Parts: sequence; structure tokens; C-alpha cells
Amino acid sequence: MEPERFQEVFKRLQAEVRKVIVGHDEVIRQVLIAFFAGGHVLLEGVPGLGKTLLVKSLSQALGISFKRIQFTPDLMPSDIVGTEVLTEADGHREFQFKKGPIFAHVVLADEINRATPKTQSAVLEAMEEKQVTVFGESHRLASPFIVLATQNPIELEGTYPLPEAQLDRFFFKLMVAPPSPEELREILKRTTGTESDDTGKVLPNDGGKLINQMQQVLRQVLIAPPIEDYVVRIVHGTQPNLNNGNGSISPTKQYLRFGSSPRGAQAVILGAKGNALADGRIHVSYEDVARVVYPALRHRIILNFQAEAENVSTDQILAEVMKQVPRS
Amino acid sequence: MSALADPQDRRSPEQRVGHLVGQLRNHALWDSLLIFAPPLLVSIDLWVNLYRAVWIAPLTFVLLSIGSVGAGLLAVVVRYRPLIPSLGSAARLVDERTGAQDRFLTLTTIETTLWPVSFVARLRSEAAAFLARVDFRREFPYHIKRSFYGSLLISLIAAVLFHLSMALIGSNLLPTPPYEKVRELAEKMAERPPLSALAYGLRTLAMKLEQPNVSEQEKQALIRDSVEQIEKQRETETQKENRQLLGEASSALQRLEQGPGQQKGSEQGRGGVQSNLSQGEEGKEKPSQASGGGDSKDPRSAQQSNDMHQGNTARNNLKEQGKEKNQQSQGDGKSNQPDPSKSGENTGTKQTGKTQGGSQKKLGRSRSEEIPQSTPPAERFYKPGEQGKDGVKGARYITVQLPEDVAADAKGEGTPSTPSKDPKGYPKAPVSNVPLPAHVPDAPSEKQQLPLEYRGIIR
Repeated sequence: MEPERFQEVFKRLQAEVRKVIVGHDEVIRQVLIAFFAGGHVLLEGVPGLGKTLLVKSLSQALGISFKRIQFTPDLMPSDIVGTEVLTEADGHREFQFKKGPIFAHVVLADEINRATPKTQSAVLEAMEEKQVTVFGESHRLASPFIVLATQNPIELEGTYPLPEAQLDRFFFKLMVAPPSPEELREILKRTTGTESDDTGKVLPNDGGKLINQMQQVLRQVLIAPPIEDYVVRIVHGTQPNLNNGNGSISPTKQYLRFGSSPRGAQAVILGAKGNALADGRIHVSYEDVARVVYPALRHRIILNFQAEAENVSTDQILAEVMKQVPRS
Repeated sequence: MSALADPQDRRSPEQRVGHLVGQLRNHALWDSLLIFAPPLLVSIDLWVNLYRAVWIAPLTFVLLSIGSVGAGLLAVVVRYRPLIPSLGSAARLVDERTGAQDRFLTLTTIETTLWPVSFVARLRSEAAAFLARVDFRREFPYHIKRSFYGSLLISLIAAVLFHLSMALIGSNLLPTPPYEKVRELAEKMAERPPLSALAYGLRTLAMKLEQPNVSEQEKQALIRDSVEQIEKQRETETQKENRQLLGEASSALQRLEQGPGQQKGSEQGRGGVQSNLSQGEEGKEKPSQASGGGDSKDPRSAQQSNDMHQGNTARNNLKEQGKEKNQQSQGDGKSNQPDPSKSGENTGTKQTGKTQGGSQKKLGRSRSEEIPQSTPPAERFYKPGEQGKDGVKGARYITVQLPEDVAADAKGEGTPSTPSKDPKGYPKAPVSNVPLPAHVPDAPSEKQQLPLEYRGIIR
């Protein structure tokens, strides 16, 4: 596949989603990058910002299967992954595996933090392994497979915050901000009038194959060793307890409990590659890295008590790290 | 795209960046050289000057010069090495100038065999398109850095301070060696054909003086011979300039003949009165010409001449001075001065309190000074209204004179009140001007001799 084809598809997908979603251009772009990088996305924002609509629109534009799971405290793992049911056909009774909603290309895990950890872990295991095991039998998930989970930063009562290890499975964590006045005006115009604009299908019927090709071409994007080193330095800079003589960056040492895992570095580089391709380039630049550092690392660094007490956010820590880590 | 027609532009972007690295490396080398060149030149100038001032031996000079050059080169290398740009840093510079978004960085640093050929080829062509927009020589010209100007300024200041201190030290602490002075005179004489023979003799004398194995007696004898030759030549010389030069040489050699101790004493004796020397009266005063220093414009020669003349004067007027109240023997030479007590014993005049000039040596430079022990110096002044030497009573001013002035005055060779006409060029400013009767405006002035004990205070 040619890089130009990637860019063309990417732009058409963006345009189709924008027909439904007002604003959130960066969120749409990052979701698409994560999708073509083969990662899952955690969307965080207050209710009513269009998170669910975004995911639905994206799946419609992609023309691939889409399932939504509304996470509740009584949701069981089998409700997600499926279960064996006893069926009778031609006088024979047998257990047959009934696939759950996880067996879709795009899965929306709505308010994932409301489910019990047991259910959460079932989903997160599927995200990582891209297969589920029921009664000792493994079942592969669809390809491409992406989980777009949402969580609400308010109303935390009765919720089960995702453990750090499970947060690490998400490629990006995107913050969905409230719309600006202009965007809100446009939302009202679109949703309270008579006209409606549905998302069109961008990909052909064999969209899954095309998506796989796009995922392949993304990994071929060139990246210079100095830029890789830069990513390494950034991820390394998030470690609060370094014993290698380099010393930690001061805000990291002060406010972080844990730094980013190697998955963070992988996410940064793949995200930067997707960003470069989306811009029509076949090589990664420093700007690409800077653009994806926040969504790739903000959920992978764990704040300590002092940071919570002083209301210091992970984005502030990352900004300081970016400032202190030289590019060459 | 006409730039692509240039053979240089046909090279791949990687080669162009490599060429830029060489260019930047040259810049770094020049920067390093320029920073350390001024201090290196100043240090060499320092060694040269020290060598010329004979403060360091030739071998030391050579070693210091080589050491300075070596240290300079080492400093250049130490500074140059970290400044050498890498391929990546040069590529980043090109990226910044061309807005290529790290294309050159990627192209020059990736291992091309590990990546899809089509991607690498595409990136290369994109980079080449960016290269067409940029001329490395224009984009990366060499500019002299501010550090060079700083280094130059500091070096110049150091050089100026060094030369000033050299001049100061040279004039105060380290006088010119005598043979150098003789050599200078020889050079001056060599420029005048009538004096070329004397110049040759002086050169020989300078060589002898410089040699440590020549004995002092031999040196003194050579100097005396040279002085005699110069004096003979001077008597026959008709040209004023030649005579002046000969007078200068004669004076210089006579100072040498007296030896360093006497010379120093003479210098001290001149002290603060040197500014009162009459220098513009060359050839007018016979006594000065007779002593060989009258034609000289050199203050030291003039002083020497005056000192010599003064010595003669004092010797001739010893008896007259002995009659005076507070009279003392005089003399400028201190270090080579004979012991006053011995002098007194030899002449038998110590108990009388009168001056004896028997111990005086050449050219009147050595005169004994005997301080009377009987009365304190303050009582040796005339009391107010007391009749003085000149029989003046109720004088308007009393001019207090040094013993030398008294002697000169007694001989009638000048008065302290007329310093510009004094052939000796000796200080004529009265040491004390005490107004006495203000109600008598026409009252005459009176001279009193200054007690010898006060001489040091005044000088």
C-alpha cells in the first residue's frame, strides 16, 4: 500500500466522522491513529460530550462491525466474552459457544469503570491477547479489533477505577473536552433541527483487509535513531527512582510514584508514525513525537499522594519532562 | 531548478550533508584558532621582550616560545574536538534552514538496509527537492565569533600592561647595563664619519665591559683611556653636534669609571633638584665646557658636569669656607666616600671644625662632611637682628643655603636667587624664605648656611 493511499483514507474517515461530531478534531485524529496503530483508546470526559457518538460514527465510516457494551456493576464476564449454551438439534444436545459483544471489530466499552474488576479484567485480557478463552477453548477475536472505552471523571461513587496495569493496555488516553461556544452552536443546529447528516461508509466491503494493510504500512514509516533516542529519554525521564547516575527530573521525582512502562515508548513511536503518515510523510519528526507524548503517556505515569494533594496533573508532569529533555 | 544543474547539487543529500560537516568543521577550527591566536602572539611577544631585555637566556627564550606554541596548539585541539559537528547535528541544521521536518536527519542516520527501499528512495528525493532551495555557503557562512573579540581585547590589554610594566621596571629597578649605554654611544658615533674610530674603540670597550672575566682594574683602565681619547677628540672637534655627542660619551664613561656605588650616590644626590637644572645653556658657560659636560643636553651629563665643577669649586674655597660659621665640608659621593674620621685624622683638621678637602677624589665628586658636635643645628642660625656674614641687619629675607651654594657664592659664580643663569645648573631655589620685618619693604636679603643635619630633610 502506498503512503498516499493511507493519507487519503485517513482524511476521508476524518471527514465522515466530522459530519456527525462537531469539534474534537484532535480526538478524532488520535482515535484513528490508535486504530491504525492497532491500539485501544480510553476516552475520558463528562457525560454528553459525544464520546459514544464518536465511536459509533467511526465504526459506521469504517464499515466494520460495531458493538456497544454498557458497563454496570452487575455485568458479568460472560456477558462480554460469551458463554457455552446447551442447544438441541436433530435430537442431539450439545454445548455451543455463543459469542459475546467482544467479537466485533469495534467495541465500545461505555463507562468501563462501572463494572467490577472481574469483568474489567475479562475485557482487558481480550484487548491484550486478542482472543478469549471459554471453558478451556480459545476463540480469536475479529481483526482488526479495537476497544474504545469511556469513563466518567465525575460520579466516582460505586465505580471501580481501572488498575494501573490495565490502564497500561490502552494505547492512548484521550481527554474529551467540552465544546466551545461555536461548536455548541453547531451541535444545536445539527441536533435540534430537521436536517440530519449520517456518516457515510468510507471503506469498501472488504474494509478489514484494507485496514490491515494500513496498519502494516504504518509500521514501515522511517524513524531516525536520534528521534528514537529522544523517545527513550522522555520515557526514561518519567521514572521517579533512577539509580543509573543520570538522576531523575525534579518534578518526576517529586510527584510520581511510577513512570511509564516500555509500552509507553512503543505507543509514542507508533503514534508518531501514524501522525506522520496522516500528514503525508513517510518519516517521523520530532514534532510527531511531541504531538503524541501526552495521549500515549498520561495514563501510564502514576501520581503520588503529594501530586494528588497539590492537584498536579500528569499532563503538567509530562510538559515539564518534555521541557527538560533535550532533542539532541 | 537551475541549481540542480550544478554538479554539486547532483550529489545525494547525504553527500551534501557530509560536505556541510566538513565546512562546519573548518569553521570550528577557525574559531578555535582565532580564540587562542591573540594570547599566543602576546605570550611570544612577552618572551621576545624579556629576551631582549636580557631577563631570560636564549635557551629559555626558545623553550618558552616552543612551550607557548605547544600549549596554544593543545588548547586549540581541546577546544576544537567538542566543536566538531556530527552528521546528525549538521543534518538537523539543514532541516532547520530548509524546513524539511527532519528529513535530512532521518536520511543521514537510518540504516537504509533495514527499511523499505521505496520509502528510503522517496525520502531521498524529497530531501533533494529541499536541497534545491538552499545554498550551504550562503546559509552557513563563516562569522567571527564574539569570543575572538573578547580574546583579542584581553590579549591587547595584557600586552599593553606588560609593556607598561616592563617600561616601569626597566626605568626604576633595572637600569640599562653600562656596556649597553657604551654600545649605544658607539652606534651613534658610528653614524658620524669623523667619530668612527672612536666608535670602534667604544664597541671594543663595551665588549670588554660585558665580559665577566675581565678584571675591574682592566675595565677602569680601558675606560680611562677611552675618556682621554674622547676628550682629545672633543678638543679638536669643530662641529657642535659631534662635540655634544663626545661630551655625552665622556660623561657616561666617567660615571662608569666611578663605579656603580658612586653612580648611585650621585643619582641620589641629584634627587629632587634635577628639575632645576639648566639645560638650555650649553656652550655658554666655560666652566661647564671645561668639565666636559656643558654641551650635553642630557640632564645626567649636565648634572655630572655640575657636580664635577662644584667639587672643584669647593676644593678651591676650603679656607674661605672654614672661616664661616657653621661651615662644613661637602661631598656628594657617599658609598665610596672615605670615612670622615679617617679623613680628619689624615688632614689634622677634624678638631678645628674646619673643612678639609684632602680626601676628595676625582673631579671633586668626593667631599667629606663633618657635622659639628658642639652646638645643635638650630643654634647655628643667626639670631634675629644679629649681624650676619654680609653685615646685614634687619634683613627682609634670609636665604638659607646648602654648603655647596655657600662655596659657590663665595667664589662669585652665581647666586641662588638667579637659578636660570647658574652655570652649574645646581638647585637655586632658596630652601627657606622667612619674612622678617614686614614694615620695611626695601630691606635687603641675607644668606645663611643650612646646617648639614637638615640636608636629608630637604632632599
